Amino acid sequence: MKTRLRTTSAAVLLALGATPVMAVDNIVLNGFMTAGATYTDSDTQWYNGNIRDEIGFEQDSRVGLQVAAQINPKMNVTVQVLGRAREEDYDAFFDWGFVSYTASDAWELRAGKIKFPTFLISDYIEVGYAYPWIRPPQEVYTSNPLTAIAGADALFRTRLGNADLLVQPYVGTSRGQSTVVPQGALEINQTFPPNQQFAFGLPGSVEFVDFEAQNLIGINSSMNWDHFSVRAGYLSIEVSADALGVSQEDAEFWSVGGTMDLNNFIGYAEYFEREIEGGANLGFPNQKGYYATLGYRFGKWMPHITYAKLDENGNPNSCGGANPFPCGEALKQDSITLGVRYELGAGAALKAEAQRVDPEGRGLFTGYDADGNSVLDDAAMIYSVAIDVVF
Amino acid sequence: MKTLRTYATRTLLAAGLLFGAVCAQAELAIIAHPGNSLESIDQAEVERIYLGRSRSFPGGGSVKPLDQAPGNDMRDKFFASVLNMTEAQVTGYWSRRMFSGKGTPPDTLADDLAVKARVASDPNSLGYVREDVVDSSVKVLLLIP
Repeated sequence: MKTRLRTTSAAVLLALGATPVMAVDNIVLNGFMTAGATYTDSDTQWYNGNIRDEIGFEQDSRVGLQVAAQINPKMNVTVQVLGRAREEDYDAFFDWGFVSYTASDAWELRAGKIKFPTFLISDYIEVGYAYPWIRPPQEVYTSNPLTAIAGADALFRTRLGNADLLVQPYVGTSRGQSTVVPQGALEINQTFPPNQQFAFGLPGSVEFVDFEAQNLIGINSSMNWDHFSVRAGYLSIEVSADALGVSQEDAEFWSVGGTMDLNNFIGYAEYFEREIEGGANLGFPNQKGYYATLGYRFGKWMPHITYAKLDENGNPNSCGGANPFPCGEALKQDSITLGVRYELGAGAALKAEAQRVDPEGRGLFTGYDADGNSVLDDAAMIYSVAIDVVF
Repeated sequence: MKTLRTYATRTLLAAGLLFGAVCAQAELAIIAHPGNSLESIDQAEVERIYLGRSRSFPGGGSVKPLDQAPGNDMRDKFFASVLNMTEAQVTGYWSRRMFSGKGTPPDTLADDLAVKARVASDPNSLGYVREDVVDSSVKVLLLIP
Protein backbone atom coordinates (compact mmCIF):
# COMPACT_ATOMS: atom_id res chain seq x y z
CA MET A 1 0.00 0.00 0.00
CA LYS A 2 1.23 3.44 -0.84
CA THR A 3 1.66 5.78 2.08
CA ARG A 4 2.21 9.00 0.20
CA LEU A 5 0.43 11.89 1.87
CA ARG A 6 -2.28 13.43 -0.18
CA THR A 7 -1.56 16.89 -1.43
CA THR A 8 -4.59 18.31 0.35
CA SER A 9 -3.59 20.57 3.13
CA ALA A 10 -3.58 18.63 6.38
CA ALA A 11 -3.65 21.85 8.37
CA VAL A 12 -6.87 22.98 6.73
CA LEU A 13 -8.43 19.58 7.28
CA LEU A 14 -7.46 19.62 10.95
CA ALA A 15 -9.46 22.77 11.46
CA LEU A 16 -12.79 21.24 10.68
CA GLY A 17 -15.45 18.77 11.61
CA ALA A 18 -16.25 15.74 9.55
CA THR A 19 -13.38 16.18 7.13
CA PRO A 20 -10.67 13.68 7.87
CA VAL A 21 -7.89 14.49 10.33
CA MET A 22 -5.45 12.52 8.32
CA ALA A 23 -5.67 11.17 4.83
CA VAL A 24 -2.93 8.86 3.71
CA ASP A 25 -3.59 7.43 0.25
CA ASN A 26 -6.82 5.45 0.56
CA ILE A 27 -6.90 5.56 4.37
CA VAL A 28 -9.07 8.03 6.25
CA LEU A 29 -9.04 8.60 9.99
CA ASN A 30 -11.90 10.28 11.84
CA GLY A 31 -12.97 10.44 15.44
CA PHE A 32 -15.53 11.58 17.95
CA MET A 33 -15.59 12.35 21.63
CA THR A 34 -18.03 13.17 24.38
CA ALA A 35 -17.09 14.61 27.75
CA GLY A 36 -20.10 14.58 30.03
CA ALA A 37 -21.08 15.05 33.65
CA THR A 38 -24.21 13.86 35.45
CA TYR A 39 -25.95 14.34 38.79
CA THR A 40 -29.22 13.07 40.22
CA ASP A 41 -31.07 14.11 43.35
CA SER A 42 -32.40 10.58 43.76
CA ASP A 43 -31.64 8.45 46.85
CA THR A 44 -31.11 5.53 44.53
CA GLN A 45 -28.81 5.33 41.51
CA TRP A 46 -29.17 4.77 37.79
CA TYR A 47 -29.51 1.08 36.83
CA ASN A 48 -25.86 0.76 35.81
CA GLY A 49 -24.53 2.64 38.83
CA ASN A 50 -23.20 5.52 36.75
CA ILE A 51 -25.60 8.31 37.70
CA ARG A 52 -25.59 9.04 41.42
CA ASP A 53 -26.24 11.85 43.88
CA GLU A 54 -22.78 13.26 43.28
CA ILE A 55 -21.25 14.72 40.14
CA GLY A 56 -20.01 11.84 38.01
CA PHE A 57 -18.30 11.58 34.64
CA GLU A 58 -18.60 7.86 33.89
CA GLN A 59 -22.00 7.64 32.21
CA ASP A 60 -21.42 9.62 29.03
CA SER A 61 -17.69 10.27 28.58
CA ARG A 62 -16.14 8.35 25.67
CA VAL A 63 -13.85 8.64 22.70
CA GLY A 64 -13.91 6.82 19.38
CA LEU A 65 -11.66 6.54 16.36
CA GLN A 66 -12.73 5.37 12.94
CA VAL A 67 -10.39 4.17 10.24
CA ALA A 68 -11.69 3.63 6.73
CA ALA A 69 -9.45 2.14 4.08
CA GLN A 70 -10.16 1.55 0.45
CA ILE A 71 -8.81 -1.78 -0.71
CA ASN A 72 -9.93 -1.39 -4.30
CA PRO A 73 -12.69 0.57 -6.00
CA LYS A 74 -15.35 -1.90 -4.84
CA MET A 75 -14.03 -2.91 -1.42
CA ASN A 76 -13.51 -1.00 1.81
CA VAL A 77 -12.63 -1.79 5.38
CA THR A 78 -14.08 0.38 8.15
CA VAL A 79 -13.18 -0.05 11.82
CA GLN A 80 -14.25 1.82 14.94
CA VAL A 81 -12.35 1.71 18.22
CA LEU A 82 -14.13 2.95 21.30
CA GLY A 83 -12.99 3.83 24.81
CA ARG A 84 -15.63 4.57 27.42
CA ALA A 85 -15.28 5.97 30.91
CA ARG A 86 -17.79 3.28 31.88
CA GLU A 87 -15.09 0.68 31.17
CA GLU A 88 -12.22 0.50 33.62
CA ASP A 89 -9.27 2.73 32.71
CA TYR A 90 -11.03 3.84 29.50
CA ASP A 91 -10.10 0.44 28.06
CA ALA A 92 -10.46 0.76 24.32
CA PHE A 93 -12.03 -2.02 22.30
CA PHE A 94 -13.06 -2.69 18.73
CA ASP A 95 -16.68 -1.64 18.79
CA TRP A 96 -17.23 -2.71 15.21
CA GLY A 97 -15.38 -3.28 11.96
CA PHE A 98 -16.30 -4.73 8.62
CA VAL A 99 -15.23 -5.29 5.08
CA SER A 100 -17.72 -4.05 2.53
CA TYR A 101 -18.20 -4.93 -1.09
CA THR A 102 -20.12 -2.62 -3.39
CA ALA A 103 -21.77 -5.08 -5.75
CA SER A 104 -23.70 -2.43 -7.70
CA ASP A 105 -25.15 1.04 -7.25
CA ALA A 106 -27.97 -0.58 -5.28
CA TRP A 107 -26.29 -3.41 -3.34
CA GLU A 108 -23.56 -3.29 -0.74
CA LEU A 109 -22.57 -6.40 1.23
CA ARG A 110 -20.77 -6.18 4.56
CA ALA A 111 -19.23 -8.81 6.82
CA GLY A 112 -17.42 -8.64 10.14
CA LYS A 113 -18.66 -6.98 13.31
CA ILE A 114 -21.55 -4.70 12.51
CA LYS A 115 -23.24 -2.14 14.72
CA PHE A 116 -26.64 -3.49 15.74
CA PRO A 117 -29.29 -1.41 13.88
CA THR A 118 -32.04 -1.97 16.46
CA PHE A 119 -33.38 1.59 16.49
CA LEU A 120 -33.10 4.87 14.57
CA ILE A 121 -29.75 6.01 15.89
CA SER A 122 -28.37 2.67 17.13
CA ASP A 123 -25.66 2.47 14.53
CA TYR A 124 -24.15 5.81 15.60
CA ILE A 125 -25.27 5.78 19.23
CA GLU A 126 -21.76 6.52 20.51
CA VAL A 127 -21.49 9.69 18.41
CA GLY A 128 -23.19 12.28 20.59
CA TYR A 129 -22.62 15.05 18.06
CA ALA A 130 -24.89 13.26 15.61
CA TYR A 131 -28.11 13.58 17.67
CA PRO A 132 -29.82 16.24 19.79
CA TRP A 133 -29.80 14.64 23.26
CA ILE A 134 -26.96 13.83 25.61
CA ARG A 135 -28.31 10.26 25.88
CA PRO A 136 -30.90 8.95 23.47
CA PRO A 137 -34.14 8.23 25.38
CA GLN A 138 -33.22 5.39 27.73
CA GLU A 139 -36.78 4.09 27.96
CA VAL A 140 -36.23 2.79 24.43
CA TYR A 141 -32.49 2.57 23.93
CA THR A 142 -31.64 0.41 26.98
CA SER A 143 -34.00 -2.31 25.78
CA ASN A 144 -31.43 -4.02 23.58
CA PRO A 145 -28.16 -4.34 25.51
CA LEU A 146 -26.49 -5.87 22.46
CA THR A 147 -24.72 -3.23 20.41
CA ALA A 148 -22.88 -5.18 17.73
CA ILE A 149 -23.30 -8.33 15.68
CA ALA A 150 -20.67 -10.72 14.40
CA GLY A 151 -22.09 -11.58 11.04
CA ALA A 152 -23.08 -10.04 7.77
CA ASP A 153 -25.61 -7.67 6.32
CA ALA A 154 -26.67 -6.27 2.99
CA LEU A 155 -27.59 -2.69 2.22
CA PHE A 156 -30.05 -2.31 -0.59
CA ARG A 157 -30.68 1.27 -1.63
CA THR A 158 -33.03 2.51 -4.26
CA ARG A 159 -35.16 5.47 -5.23
CA LEU A 160 -38.87 5.08 -4.67
CA GLY A 161 -40.90 8.01 -5.96
CA ASN A 162 -39.14 10.96 -4.37
CA ALA A 163 -37.87 8.96 -1.40
CA ASP A 164 -34.71 6.99 -0.80
CA LEU A 165 -35.37 3.48 0.40
CA LEU A 166 -32.88 1.48 2.45
CA VAL A 167 -33.45 -2.19 3.23
CA GLN A 168 -30.86 -3.83 5.48
CA PRO A 169 -31.27 -7.51 6.31
CA TYR A 170 -28.68 -8.92 8.75
CA VAL A 171 -27.70 -12.24 10.30
CA GLY A 172 -25.19 -13.23 12.93
CA THR A 173 -24.46 -13.85 16.55
CA SER A 174 -23.70 -11.49 19.38
CA ARG A 175 -22.14 -11.48 22.80
CA GLY A 176 -22.78 -8.80 25.31
CA GLN A 177 -22.72 -7.81 28.87
CA SER A 178 -25.88 -6.50 30.35
CA THR A 179 -26.42 -4.69 33.57
CA VAL A 180 -28.98 -6.56 35.58
CA VAL A 181 -30.30 -5.25 38.85
CA PRO A 182 -31.46 -8.16 40.98
CA GLN A 183 -35.07 -7.55 41.75
CA GLY A 184 -37.10 -7.76 44.92
CA ALA A 185 -39.12 -10.59 43.43
CA LEU A 186 -36.10 -12.87 43.61
CA GLU A 187 -35.99 -12.68 47.38
CA ILE A 188 -39.08 -14.78 47.79
CA ASN A 189 -38.55 -18.49 47.55
CA GLN A 190 -38.54 -19.26 43.90
CA THR A 191 -37.83 -22.77 42.85
CA PHE A 192 -35.06 -22.76 40.33
CA PRO A 193 -34.08 -25.79 38.31
CA PRO A 194 -31.73 -27.95 40.34
CA ASN A 195 -27.98 -27.58 39.81
CA GLN A 196 -28.42 -24.07 38.44
CA GLN A 197 -26.07 -21.55 39.92
CA PHE A 198 -27.24 -18.00 40.15
CA ALA A 199 -24.52 -15.41 40.17
CA PHE A 200 -26.92 -12.81 41.43
CA GLY A 201 -26.13 -10.40 44.19
CA LEU A 202 -28.39 -8.61 46.60
CA PRO A 203 -31.52 -6.92 45.38
CA GLY A 204 -30.58 -3.44 44.27
CA SER A 205 -26.95 -4.26 43.54
CA VAL A 206 -25.66 -3.71 40.03
CA GLU A 207 -24.63 -6.98 38.41
CA PHE A 208 -23.03 -7.55 35.04
CA VAL A 209 -24.27 -10.62 33.25
CA ASP A 210 -22.56 -12.04 30.18
CA PHE A 211 -24.87 -13.43 27.58
CA GLU A 212 -24.94 -14.61 24.03
CA ALA A 213 -27.38 -14.28 21.21
CA GLN A 214 -27.46 -16.90 18.50
CA ASN A 215 -29.44 -17.31 15.31
CA LEU A 216 -29.81 -13.60 15.20
CA ILE A 217 -31.75 -12.45 12.19
CA GLY A 218 -33.27 -9.08 11.54
CA ILE A 219 -34.19 -6.40 9.11
CA ASN A 220 -33.88 -2.65 9.27
CA SER A 221 -35.60 -0.52 6.68
CA SER A 222 -36.05 3.17 6.17
CA MET A 223 -37.50 5.68 3.77
CA ASN A 224 -35.97 9.14 3.59
CA TRP A 225 -37.56 12.18 2.04
CA ASP A 226 -36.06 15.68 2.08
CA HIS A 227 -37.53 16.61 5.45
CA PHE A 228 -38.89 13.37 6.87
CA SER A 229 -37.85 9.79 7.40
CA VAL A 230 -39.59 6.67 8.66
CA ARG A 231 -37.97 3.48 9.87
CA ALA A 232 -39.12 0.02 10.84
CA GLY A 233 -37.16 -2.88 12.25
CA TYR A 234 -37.68 -6.44 13.34
CA LEU A 235 -35.29 -8.92 14.87
CA SER A 236 -35.38 -12.37 16.33
CA ILE A 237 -32.66 -13.93 18.50
CA GLU A 238 -32.00 -16.88 20.79
CA VAL A 239 -30.61 -15.69 24.10
CA SER A 240 -28.32 -17.67 26.39
CA ALA A 241 -26.93 -16.47 29.72
CA ASP A 242 -25.06 -18.88 31.96
CA ALA A 243 -25.41 -16.65 35.00
CA LEU A 244 -29.17 -16.83 34.63
CA GLY A 245 -29.23 -20.51 33.71
CA VAL A 246 -30.76 -19.58 30.39
CA SER A 247 -30.13 -21.40 27.15
CA GLN A 248 -31.43 -20.41 23.71
CA GLU A 249 -34.63 -18.67 24.67
CA ASP A 250 -36.47 -16.90 21.89
CA ALA A 251 -36.54 -13.13 21.92
CA GLU A 252 -38.18 -10.76 19.46
CA PHE A 253 -38.00 -7.02 18.97
CA TRP A 254 -39.90 -4.82 16.64
CA SER A 255 -39.85 -1.09 16.33
CA VAL A 256 -41.08 1.79 14.24
CA GLY A 257 -39.92 5.38 14.23
CA GLY A 258 -39.53 8.56 12.28
CA THR A 259 -37.69 11.86 12.11
CA MET A 260 -38.47 15.34 10.87
CA ASP A 261 -36.35 18.37 10.00
CA LEU A 262 -38.52 21.10 8.55
CA ASN A 263 -38.35 24.88 8.83
CA ASN A 264 -36.00 24.57 11.80
CA PHE A 265 -38.32 22.21 13.66
CA ILE A 266 -36.74 18.87 14.38
CA GLY A 267 -38.56 15.80 15.63
CA TYR A 268 -37.84 12.21 16.56
CA ALA A 269 -40.30 9.52 17.65
CA GLU A 270 -39.97 5.77 18.16
CA TYR A 271 -41.96 2.86 19.56
CA PHE A 272 -40.79 -0.67 20.34
CA GLU A 273 -41.99 -3.96 21.75
CA ARG A 274 -39.82 -6.72 23.16
CA GLU A 275 -40.95 -10.25 23.94
CA ILE A 276 -38.78 -12.88 25.53
CA GLU A 277 -39.84 -16.38 26.44
CA GLY A 278 -38.68 -18.79 29.08
CA GLY A 279 -35.97 -18.20 31.63
CA ALA A 280 -34.42 -15.24 29.85
CA ASN A 281 -37.54 -13.32 30.76
CA LEU A 282 -36.13 -13.09 34.27
CA GLY A 283 -33.37 -10.76 33.18
CA PHE A 284 -35.17 -9.29 30.16
CA PRO A 285 -38.92 -9.10 30.79
CA ASN A 286 -41.39 -8.22 28.06
CA GLN A 287 -41.42 -4.48 27.58
CA LYS A 288 -42.66 -1.80 25.32
CA GLY A 289 -41.69 1.82 25.19
CA TYR A 290 -41.78 4.96 23.16
CA TYR A 291 -40.60 8.54 23.07
CA ALA A 292 -41.21 11.71 21.13
CA THR A 293 -38.84 14.65 20.83
CA LEU A 294 -39.50 18.09 19.41
CA GLY A 295 -36.87 20.76 19.02
CA TYR A 296 -36.48 24.12 17.34
CA ARG A 297 -33.30 25.52 15.86
CA PHE A 298 -32.66 29.24 16.54
CA GLY A 299 -29.35 29.84 14.82
CA LYS A 300 -26.82 28.07 17.00
CA TRP A 301 -29.30 27.19 19.74
CA MET A 302 -31.65 24.26 19.75
CA PRO A 303 -33.92 23.79 22.75
CA HIS A 304 -35.79 20.48 22.77
CA ILE A 305 -38.29 18.54 24.82
CA THR A 306 -38.74 14.78 25.07
CA TYR A 307 -41.42 12.63 26.62
CA ALA A 308 -40.54 8.96 27.03
CA LYS A 309 -42.28 5.98 28.55
CA LEU A 310 -41.22 2.42 29.36
CA ASP A 311 -43.99 -0.05 30.15
CA GLU A 312 -44.84 -3.70 30.54
CA ASN A 313 -45.81 -5.63 27.45
CA GLY A 314 -48.10 -8.43 28.57
CA ASN A 315 -45.40 -10.10 30.63
CA PRO A 316 -46.34 -13.75 31.30
CA ASN A 317 -46.99 -15.08 34.80
CA SER A 318 -45.11 -18.31 34.23
CA CYS A 319 -41.91 -18.52 32.27
CA GLY A 320 -41.03 -22.13 31.82
CA GLY A 321 -42.19 -25.69 31.46
CA ALA A 322 -41.37 -28.50 33.85
CA ASN A 323 -39.10 -26.45 36.07
CA PRO A 324 -40.76 -23.06 35.90
CA PHE A 325 -38.52 -20.06 36.06
CA PRO A 326 -39.68 -16.92 37.72
CA CYS A 327 -40.63 -14.30 35.16
CA GLY A 328 -38.90 -10.96 35.28
CA GLU A 329 -40.61 -7.88 36.51
CA ALA A 330 -41.26 -5.35 33.76
CA LEU A 331 -39.65 -1.97 34.34
CA LYS A 332 -41.96 1.00 34.24
CA GLN A 333 -41.22 4.68 34.18
CA ASP A 334 -41.84 7.81 32.24
CA SER A 335 -39.76 10.93 31.93
CA ILE A 336 -39.74 14.44 30.58
CA THR A 337 -36.45 15.92 29.43
CA LEU A 338 -35.77 19.56 28.67
CA GLY A 339 -32.54 20.10 26.84
CA VAL A 340 -30.59 22.60 24.84
CA ARG A 341 -27.89 22.12 22.27
CA TYR A 342 -25.51 24.92 21.29
CA GLU A 343 -23.29 24.68 18.21
CA LEU A 344 -19.69 25.58 18.95
CA GLY A 345 -18.82 25.90 15.27
CA ALA A 346 -19.05 22.95 12.91
CA GLY A 347 -18.00 19.74 14.62
CA ALA A 348 -18.59 20.68 18.25
CA ALA A 349 -21.70 21.07 20.38
CA LEU A 350 -22.41 21.87 24.00
CA LYS A 351 -25.49 20.29 25.55
CA ALA A 352 -27.35 20.60 28.83
CA GLU A 353 -30.38 18.64 30.00
CA ALA A 354 -32.69 18.39 32.97
CA GLN A 355 -34.77 15.22 33.14
CA ARG A 356 -37.58 14.41 35.52
CA VAL A 357 -37.98 10.66 35.84
CA ASP A 358 -41.07 9.17 37.41
CA PRO A 359 -40.60 5.44 38.06
CA GLU A 360 -43.40 3.05 38.92
CA GLY A 361 -41.55 0.66 41.16
CA ARG A 362 -37.85 1.02 40.48
CA GLY A 363 -38.00 1.95 36.81
CA LEU A 364 -34.49 2.35 35.40
CA PHE A 365 -33.00 2.93 38.86
CA THR A 366 -31.59 0.24 41.13
CA GLY A 367 -34.48 0.85 43.54
CA TYR A 368 -32.33 0.80 46.67
CA ASP A 369 -30.63 3.60 48.57
CA ALA A 370 -27.02 3.54 49.81
CA ASP A 371 -28.11 1.84 53.06
CA GLY A 372 -29.87 -0.98 51.25
CA ASN A 373 -33.40 0.26 51.88
CA SER A 374 -35.90 -0.14 49.10
CA VAL A 375 -36.77 3.22 47.52
CA LEU A 376 -39.55 2.87 45.00
CA ASP A 377 -41.83 5.20 43.08
CA ASP A 378 -39.83 8.32 43.96
CA ALA A 379 -39.62 10.82 41.14
CA ALA A 380 -36.07 12.01 40.52
CA MET A 381 -34.26 14.71 38.61
CA ILE A 382 -31.22 13.92 36.49
CA TYR A 383 -29.02 16.82 35.36
CA SER A 384 -26.45 16.36 32.60
CA VAL A 385 -24.02 18.49 30.62
CA ALA A 386 -21.82 17.33 27.78
CA ILE A 387 -19.52 18.51 25.03
CA ASP A 388 -19.61 16.47 21.83
CA VAL A 389 -17.07 16.77 19.06
CA VAL A 390 -16.33 15.03 15.80
CA PHE A 391 -13.03 15.32 14.03
CA MET B 1 -8.10 71.12 -11.62
CA LYS B 2 -10.13 69.54 -14.29
CA THR B 3 -7.69 66.66 -14.41
CA LEU B 4 -7.95 66.20 -10.68
CA ARG B 5 -11.76 66.15 -10.84
CA THR B 6 -11.70 63.65 -13.66
CA TYR B 7 -9.32 61.53 -11.67
CA ALA B 8 -11.56 61.72 -8.61
CA THR B 9 -14.63 60.84 -10.67
CA ARG B 10 -12.87 57.91 -12.25
CA THR B 11 -11.66 56.67 -8.88
CA LEU B 12 -15.17 56.89 -7.44
CA LEU B 13 -16.55 55.15 -10.49
CA ALA B 14 -13.97 52.38 -10.21
CA ALA B 15 -14.60 52.01 -6.50
CA GLY B 16 -18.33 51.88 -7.15
CA LEU B 17 -17.90 49.18 -9.78
CA LEU B 18 -15.64 47.20 -7.50
CA PHE B 19 -18.12 47.55 -4.65
CA GLY B 20 -20.90 46.43 -6.92
CA ALA B 21 -18.91 43.45 -8.10
CA VAL B 22 -18.19 42.34 -4.54
CA CYS B 23 -21.81 42.80 -3.51
CA ALA B 24 -23.26 40.97 -6.45
CA GLN B 25 -22.36 37.44 -5.36
CA ALA B 26 -20.21 35.54 -7.75
CA GLU B 27 -22.10 32.90 -9.63
CA LEU B 28 -21.59 29.28 -8.68
CA ALA B 29 -20.87 26.89 -11.53
CA ILE B 30 -21.48 23.15 -11.29
CA ILE B 31 -18.84 21.62 -13.52
CA ALA B 32 -18.04 18.26 -15.06
CA HIS B 33 -15.45 16.80 -17.41
CA PRO B 34 -15.83 18.08 -21.01
CA GLY B 35 -16.36 14.49 -22.14
CA ASN B 36 -19.41 14.09 -19.91
CA SER B 37 -22.48 13.29 -22.02
CA LEU B 38 -24.75 15.50 -19.92
CA GLU B 39 -25.45 19.04 -21.10
CA SER B 40 -27.13 20.12 -17.88
CA ILE B 41 -28.13 18.86 -14.44
CA ASP B 42 -30.84 20.05 -12.10
CA GLN B 43 -30.16 21.36 -8.66
CA ALA B 44 -32.04 18.60 -6.83
CA GLU B 45 -29.86 16.00 -8.55
CA VAL B 46 -26.69 17.86 -7.52
CA GLU B 47 -27.97 17.89 -3.93
CA ARG B 48 -28.63 14.14 -3.99
CA ILE B 49 -25.17 13.41 -5.35
CA TYR B 50 -23.45 15.63 -2.78
CA LEU B 51 -25.43 14.06 0.08
CA GLY B 52 -24.46 10.57 -1.06
CA ARG B 53 -28.04 9.65 -1.92
CA SER B 54 -27.20 9.09 -5.55
CA ARG B 55 -24.00 7.48 -6.73
CA SER B 56 -24.40 8.05 -10.43
CA PHE B 57 -25.03 10.83 -12.91
CA PRO B 58 -28.60 11.08 -14.15
CA GLY B 59 -28.66 8.65 -17.05
CA GLY B 60 -25.82 6.56 -15.68
CA GLY B 61 -22.09 6.61 -15.02
CA SER B 62 -20.67 6.69 -11.52
CA VAL B 63 -20.06 10.10 -10.03
CA LYS B 64 -17.43 11.42 -7.63
CA PRO B 65 -18.51 14.74 -6.10
CA LEU B 66 -15.78 17.11 -4.92
CA ASP B 67 -16.05 19.46 -1.97
CA GLN B 68 -13.91 22.48 -1.18
CA ALA B 69 -11.98 23.10 2.02
CA PRO B 70 -13.68 25.05 4.82
CA GLY B 71 -13.37 28.80 4.51
CA ASN B 72 -13.92 29.04 0.75
CA ASP B 73 -16.71 31.46 -0.26
CA MET B 74 -18.16 29.09 -2.81
CA ARG B 75 -18.49 26.34 -0.22
CA ASP B 76 -20.67 28.51 2.01
CA LYS B 77 -22.74 29.47 -0.99
CA PHE B 78 -23.03 25.87 -2.15
CA PHE B 79 -24.16 24.66 1.28
CA ALA B 80 -26.71 27.46 1.59
CA SER B 81 -28.17 27.45 -1.91
CA VAL B 82 -27.86 23.82 -3.04
CA LEU B 83 -27.85 21.76 0.15
CA ASN B 84 -30.00 24.24 2.10
CA MET B 85 -27.98 23.53 5.21
CA THR B 86 -25.57 25.34 7.51
CA GLU B 87 -22.04 24.05 7.86
CA ALA B 88 -22.94 22.56 11.27
CA GLN B 89 -25.91 20.74 9.74
CA VAL B 90 -23.75 19.31 6.96
CA THR B 91 -21.22 18.14 9.56
CA GLY B 92 -24.06 16.53 11.55
CA TYR B 93 -25.42 14.85 8.43
CA TRP B 94 -22.06 13.30 7.54
CA SER B 95 -21.43 12.32 11.17
CA ARG B 96 -24.59 10.23 11.07
CA ARG B 97 -23.67 8.53 7.83
CA MET B 98 -19.92 8.21 8.19
CA PHE B 99 -19.79 7.00 11.80
CA SER B 100 -22.49 4.44 11.08
CA GLY B 101 -20.34 3.12 8.24
CA LYS B 102 -23.08 4.00 5.75
CA GLY B 103 -21.48 6.72 3.69
CA THR B 104 -18.40 8.78 3.02
CA PRO B 105 -18.37 12.54 2.55
CA PRO B 106 -17.07 13.89 -0.78
CA ASP B 107 -13.33 14.33 -1.22
CA THR B 108 -12.22 17.79 -0.19
CA LEU B 109 -9.90 19.85 -2.38
CA ALA B 110 -8.18 23.09 -1.45
CA ASP B 111 -10.00 25.64 -3.64
CA ASP B 112 -11.71 26.50 -6.95
CA LEU B 113 -8.58 25.91 -9.02
CA ALA B 114 -7.85 22.52 -7.45
CA VAL B 115 -11.45 21.45 -8.13
CA LYS B 116 -11.27 22.68 -11.73
CA ALA B 117 -8.00 20.82 -12.29
CA ARG B 118 -9.43 17.58 -10.89
CA VAL B 119 -12.65 17.84 -12.88
CA ALA B 120 -10.65 18.53 -16.06
CA SER B 121 -8.71 15.30 -15.54
CA ASP B 122 -11.32 12.94 -14.03
CA PRO B 123 -14.29 12.04 -16.27
CA ASN B 124 -16.35 10.82 -13.26
CA SER B 125 -15.99 13.92 -11.15
CA LEU B 126 -18.48 16.68 -10.38
CA GLY B 127 -17.43 19.95 -8.78
CA TYR B 128 -18.58 23.41 -7.86
CA VAL B 129 -16.46 26.49 -8.51
CA ARG B 130 -16.72 30.25 -8.82
CA GLU B 131 -18.03 30.90 -12.31
CA ASP B 132 -15.18 33.20 -13.32
CA VAL B 133 -12.51 30.47 -13.03
CA VAL B 134 -14.30 28.32 -15.61
CA ASP B 135 -12.53 27.75 -18.94
CA SER B 136 -12.71 25.22 -21.76
CA SER B 137 -11.05 22.49 -19.65
CA VAL B 138 -14.39 21.81 -17.95
CA LYS B 139 -18.07 21.80 -18.87
CA VAL B 140 -20.63 23.87 -16.97
CA LEU B 141 -23.79 21.85 -16.21
CA LEU B 142 -25.57 24.38 -14.05
CA LEU B 143 -25.15 28.01 -13.04
CA ILE B 144 -26.50 29.20 -9.72
CA PRO B 145 -26.75 32.98 -9.43
